[in-house]
Amino acid sequence: MSQPTNKRRRLRPAARQQKEWYKLDLSAIVYPTLQRKDFSSVYRLSVLLKEDIKPGILQQAVHITMERFPTYKTAIRKGLFWRYLEPNLRPGPFVEEDIKNPCMPMPFRANNRYLVRIYYYRNRISLEAHHCLGDGTGGMCVLQTLTATYLRLLGAKITNGGFVLDVREAPHPEELEDAYLRYANAKVCPPRLGEKAYRVRGTKEPFYTLNIIDGIMSVKEVMHVASQYHATITEYLNSVLLYALLQKQQSEWHLKERPVKIAMPVNLRRFFPSRTLRNFITMIYPSIDPRLGDYSFDEIIQHVHNYMRFYINEKFLRGDITTNASTERNPFIRIVPLFIKDFVVRTFYTKIQDKNSSAGLTNMGALKVPEDMKPYIERFDIYMGQPFSSRTNCAIISFEDILTINFASSIIEADVERLFFRKLVEDGIHVKIESNRSEEIINGGK
Amino acid sequence: MSYCVNCGVELDPSLKQCPLCNAPVINPMELKKQTTVSPFPEHRGQVETVRHKDVAVLLTTFLFSTGAACALLNLLTFKKTLWSLPLIGICAVIWVFAVPLLLYRRIPAWCSILLDGMITGLYLYLLTCLTKSDEWFPGIGLPIVILLTILIEAVTFLYRKFPISFLGSALYFVLATALLCVGIEIILDLYFHSAIQLGWSAVVLTACAIMTVTISTILSKKGCVTQ
Repeated sequence: MSQPTNKRRRLRPAARQQKEWYKLDLSAIVYPTLQRKDFSSVYRLSVLLKEDIKPGILQQAVHITMERFPTYKTAIRKGLFWRYLEPNLRPGPFVEEDIKNPCMPMPFRANNRYLVRIYYYRNRISLEAHHCLGDGTGGMCVLQTLTATYLRLLGAKITNGGFVLDVREAPHPEELEDAYLRYANAKVCPPRLGEKAYRVRGTKEPFYTLNIIDGIMSVKEVMHVASQYHATITEYLNSVLLYALLQKQQSEWHLKERPVKIAMPVNLRRFFPSRTLRNFITMIYPSIDPRLGDYSFDEIIQHVHNYMRFYINEKFLRGDITTNASTERNPFIRIVPLFIKDFVVRTFYTKIQDKNSSAGLTNMGALKVPEDMKPYIERFDIYMGQPFSSRTNCAIISFEDILTINFASSIIEADVERLFFRKLVEDGIHVKIESNRSEEIINGGK
Repeated sequence: MSYCVNCGVELDPSLKQCPLCNAPVINPMELKKQTTVSPFPEHRGQVETVRHKDVAVLLTTFLFSTGAACALLNLLTFKKTLWSLPLIGICAVIWVFAVPLLLYRRIPAWCSILLDGMITGLYLYLLTCLTKSDEWFPGIGLPIVILLTILIEAVTFLYRKFPISFLGSALYFVLATALLCVGIEIILDLYFHSAIQLGWSAVVLTACAIMTVTISTILSKKGCVTQ
């Protein structure tokens, strides 16, 4: 196996074996710190096939596939100053029958210390991964490679390419790199302006409940509507979510109104070439401030369009990465013991960062799979875990002509989701709804 | 296929109500209800409980050895007073407080609080061996511990049964503080003067009453607007 660039070695004299470990990437440092029973840094990616899943074959596929992704077959460990990932040689991960409440928090000592879970239900394979292992792109590589291996074991001929990696080859060093450090080289660290955003209020569900509402629609229809507003699909759906949040805020009683902000991850691989399977994203915050006046939907979409054009470019993003990296590179911060870093990061996140956005929105975009794999796949789903606050998270993914919008929240009320989908219907988009909400929950929310 | 009459969205055949607006699904063409498999499983998952066994064993060993060492020193070397009793008691209190958190995480909260209250009471009783008179224990110590335990139990019950906002939690806290202060003053008055005459706790009670009214007003206002 070729040596990754950021892989370091240490020797354990007793075993006299080479012990490898991986430094957490710049984003991944934060997630384990925030790990609590009421906060989940776990995301879920699902693929719906056209036939029911055979668990035995899937388990075989998992064993074959996980060897190809060494950073996903790891356990997290604590050092004096930082956490790190260590190869996990315990049995697993094992496939399990799917559950109603996905993205449960992932205690590091549970599940044989694995930070991934694989579920199956009818024709669906779901991969849940802790964010400290990698972002959605990395997770999608694991899921698609796993699906391709599973289909091959069933007799299908699937070629490698795109997200499907060759399970027989060793991982490329670039797949394991912390790509942030390669590109964090702007000459200035732009400051980040933060202001408390409007926060969705609601009745919290008991622990480990994640209410899901999926909206399934046609890509062509959404693209047609978005083009009428002279916007992209991401800009359009961002604007619809902002519009829904604005309406929600207006319907409530507030001492004072606050800006409505969406936390949106941007895939940096689009701007900075890297094959990394680890985290390589940064956040942007499209927002609307209702204190400036009443915004029509056209004005919101225009504002979001301009915001995206202004912020999503190589120069701004490089500055943003540099600002992030400057903290980790600071020699004084490096020598602070881990428990103090944990306390400071957790306090900063709960008191400032979490209050900085009203909702989360991520768009994985149009997924591509090898041509010979297409006939076996119906669609993909993506869900984000439960945040500290009771906000709702929206994740978008599309495959062929099916666009899926997955809302996940830990509150009973579904006001934001209702306003969001009603706006899509108003704009002439046909939306099909699926949900894991039971009747009792729905009635409880009345 | 059915559509929500309010939202205009198509609903999955497994849904009996619109998850967006709660409107029931009534399809005149399909009045005979068909059972359709939900796209989501019914089984709820539970996070694997991680027992901090190592820490619990370490803590138990440390506390037990500390207690035993103190007891032996007291018995064999420094025999004048029972100085080791409070230290052994402290070790026992820490153990009872910590072990449910580390080992038996599934123990109900009320049970854990009750045990904490009992061990605290027991510790105070132990202290009576070191004081000239033990009247303070039934007169002040035990009633305060019982009051505190009841209040913590009540707040925990309310917080768990009716999970509400930060303001709601603050309301519980303010009410509990007011009751605790009044209770403590009543216990002290009865012990020292055999008559109840509220003084400092009345000031706390007034402040808490103002805060309670303010928070309740905000909460009721929010409730009205939401409805």
